Amino acid sequence: MIRLRPAPPLLCLLPALALIPVLVVVLPAIHSGGLQIWLDCLLGALQPSLDPVVLQAMVRALQVTLATALAAWGLSGLSGALLALLSADVFWLSRGAPLWPAQILRSALALPRSIHELIWGLLLLQIFGLHPWVAVLAIAIPYSALVARVWRDQLDSLDRSSLIAQLQTGAQADAAMITTLAPAMTPSLLSYGGYRLECALRSATLLGVFGLGGLGTELQLSLQSLRFHEFWSGLWLLIVCSVALEQGLRFWRTRPKERFGAAERRQLLLLGLLLISAVVGGLWMQQLFPDDGAALAWQWPPLPDRDQLLQASTELAWGSLIVDTLRLTLLAAGLAIGLPALVELLWNRGAAPQVQSLIWSALRLLPPPLTLLMLLLANQPSLALAALALGLQNAGVLGRLLREGLDQQDQRRHQAMTVAGADSASSWLYGQLAPQSRAYLAYGAYRADVILRETIVVGLVGGTGLGWALIESLSSFHWAAVWLLIGAFSLLTLTGEALSDRQRQRWLQS
Amino acid sequence: MSITLELRSVGVIGREAPRLTGVSLSLQPGERVALLGASGSGKSTLIAVINGSLNADEGQVIWTGLPPRRRRQRRAIGTLWQDLRLVEELNVQQNINAGALGQRSLGWALLNLLIPLETNHCRRVLEAAGLPADVLQTPVTRLSGGQRQRVAIARLLRQQPEVLLADEPLASLDPALIDELLTRLLRQTSAETVLISLHRPDLIHRFDRVIGLRKGQLVLDLRPSDLQSGQLDALYSS
Repeated sequence: MIRLRPAPPLLCLLPALALIPVLVVVLPAIHSGGLQIWLDCLLGALQPSLDPVVLQAMVRALQVTLATALAAWGLSGLSGALLALLSADVFWLSRGAPLWPAQILRSALALPRSIHELIWGLLLLQIFGLHPWVAVLAIAIPYSALVARVWRDQLDSLDRSSLIAQLQTGAQADAAMITTLAPAMTPSLLSYGGYRLECALRSATLLGVFGLGGLGTELQLSLQSLRFHEFWSGLWLLIVCSVALEQGLRFWRTRPKERFGAAERRQLLLLGLLLISAVVGGLWMQQLFPDDGAALAWQWPPLPDRDQLLQASTELAWGSLIVDTLRLTLLAAGLAIGLPALVELLWNRGAAPQVQSLIWSALRLLPPPLTLLMLLLANQPSLALAALALGLQNAGVLGRLLREGLDQQDQRRHQAMTVAGADSASSWLYGQLAPQSRAYLAYGAYRADVILRETIVVGLVGGTGLGWALIESLSSFHWAAVWLLIGAFSLLTLTGEALSDRQRQRWLQS
Repeated sequence: MSITLELRSVGVIGREAPRLTGVSLSLQPGERVALLGASGSGKSTLIAVINGSLNADEGQVIWTGLPPRRRRQRRAIGTLWQDLRLVEELNVQQNINAGALGQRSLGWALLNLLIPLETNHCRRVLEAAGLPADVLQTPVTRLSGGQRQRVAIARLLRQQPEVLLADEPLASLDPALIDELLTRLLRQTSAETVLISLHRPDLIHRFDRVIGLRKGQLVLDLRPSDLQSGQLDALYSS
C-alpha cells in the first residue's frame, strides 16, 4: 500500500481544498438581485462621496481610530515589555532568585491573552458604558499579554553563555542582561513592535464596526444603509492610512541600522516611540472627546452563583457551538494558508507579484465583519460565508508574508529548475515555494491560532459558533452564560495556542 | 539531430570589471571539454551564459540541432551546479524526480510531493550515481557532502540531457571520490557533449579538449596533450 507523505510545499497547498466546501455552499446561494447591489458597491470605489459633511465625519472618525490605535499600541507595548521581562526565567535566574514568580505571571497572562479584543470591548462596554477609552483598554489588555508572551519567549530562547560569563565576573544582573541579551532582542523588538501597530489599527477599526466608535462605525453604518459612495470615502481614507503605515513600518524594519543607529539606540527609540504614542494618543482622544474627560465610572456586572451557572450550562448547546467554532476555524485557516500559495502557483509570471501584492493589501485591510457584510449583500448568512470572510482577510496577511519571503530568498534553486526545462508552475513549486515552505507553514500554524480567536468576530455577524452565542447572552444580560462562554472560549483558544505552538516548533526545527 | 554550440564574441559586463570579454568558441557533438581557470576567471559566468541562466551583454550564443520549443531546448541542456541546488525540503527520490520536471505536467510535479513516483527509474539512476537505493526516502538534509553530490548527479541522469555542463562539480571532494564521480559524469550520462569546469588541472587527461579562461578572456583552446606547463602557470598566475 502506498503511504501518503505530503512534502512541505504540498502541505502549503493542500489547505486550499477548504475552498471546495466553502464554494459548494456559497456559490448556489448567490442571488441575482444582490449582484446588482454588489456591483453598485464596487462601482462606489470610483466615485466616493466628496460631500464636505461626509468627509468631515469620516476624517473625525479616522482620527478616533488612529488615536485609539496609537494609545493602545503605546500602552500595550510598554506594559508588554515590562511583563515580558518579569515573566522571563532569565530575569529571575540572573538574580539568583527562584522561578515561581515568572511561572505565576505567565499563567496569569494566559487568560487576558486568550480573550479576543472584541470580547474585551463588549465586556468593558457593559462595565463602563460607551466611553472613548473603552476601545483603547479593550485592545491594550490582550495586546499587552500577547506582546509579553512573544518577547518573553524570545528572551528565554537566547543563548545565555555570555550572560553567565558576565555574571561570573561580578557584573550586576541588570547591566549584564542589557549588555549580553538586549542586542540580540533588537530584531524581534523592532519587527514585532511595528507589526503590533498595524494590528492595533486593524483592531481599532474592527471595534468600531461593533459600535465602539471611529471609522469602523462609520463604515458599518454606511454599508448597512447601502450608502456606498460614503462607504468608499471612509474606506479610501483607511486605505491611504494603512498603506502609509505599512510603508513606514517596512522602512523601519528593513533600514534600521543605517538610519537609526546601534541596537541599543534603536531599542531606546522604540521605547520612546511607545511612550510618545501612548501620550499623544491619550491627548488626541482628550481633544476629540473633551466632554468625556472624567474618570471612567464603572459598574461591575453581577457575578452569577453556582445554580445560575449550572442552569446556564444546560441551556447552551455546547456540542454544536464548539463544533461550529472549530469548523469555522478549519475552513478559514485552510483558505488563509492555501489560497496565497495556490494563487502564486497558478499565476506567478510577469506582473503577477505586483498585482497579487495589491490584492493581499486590499484583503487584509477590510475587517472581516465588513467583508462579511459586503458578501451578505448578495448571499445568505452561513458558516461557509463567515469562513470565507475570515479566510480572505487572513489570506491577505499570509499572502503578503509569503510574497515577502519569496522576494527575499535566494533565487538559485528556482533558476536551476527553470534552466532544466520545468514549466513556470513546477519551477515555482520546487524552486520558490519549497525553500519557503517550512517558514510559511510555521507562520500558518500561528495564524490558525489567531483565526480561532477571530472566529468570535465573524461569528457575531454570521450567527454561528461561540461568538454568536456570546453576543446573544451579552445583549440579554445573561451573565451566567456570558461567563461560561468566555471560559469555554478561553479554554478553546489556549488549547489551540498550545497545539499551534507545538506545530510551529515542529516546522521550524525540522 | 546532434547539438552544436557556437559562441561569437560573447561578453558579460560586471559591476567592477567585465566578467567575460569577446569569448568565441564552439562545442561539437561528442566532445568532452575541460574548462580551466583561476577563481574569478569567468568559468561560472561562461556556464551560466551557455545554459541560459544569464544573458550575454554582447555577442551571440548560437545553438544548432536543438528542438524548437523553449522548454525542450532547456531540457536538452543539463547543468550540475557548483552548489548542487538540491531542494532541501524534499527527500532523495523527490529531488531526483525534479530532474524530470521538464518532461512532466504540473499534476505529476504535485504528485511527486505526495507519493513515491517512478521508483524503478529513480533507483537505477541513483545506483548509477553510486548510491544504494535504500536512501531514496531519506531527506537530502541528512546526507553527507559526497552523497549530496551523487544525488545531484542522479537528478542530472534523470533529466537525460544531450549537453552536460558542470560547474566545478568536484571541488571540496576527497581525491578517491573525485576520480569516481568524474568517471560517472563522463561515462554514464546520456549527454553527447560535456563541458566541465575544473579547479584541478591534473584531471585534464580524461578530456578531449581543454579551454582556459583568464580574467574573462579565452586564452587556451587545445588538446590536453598539447598543453605546456608554462601555459598552465600563466593561466593561474595572479
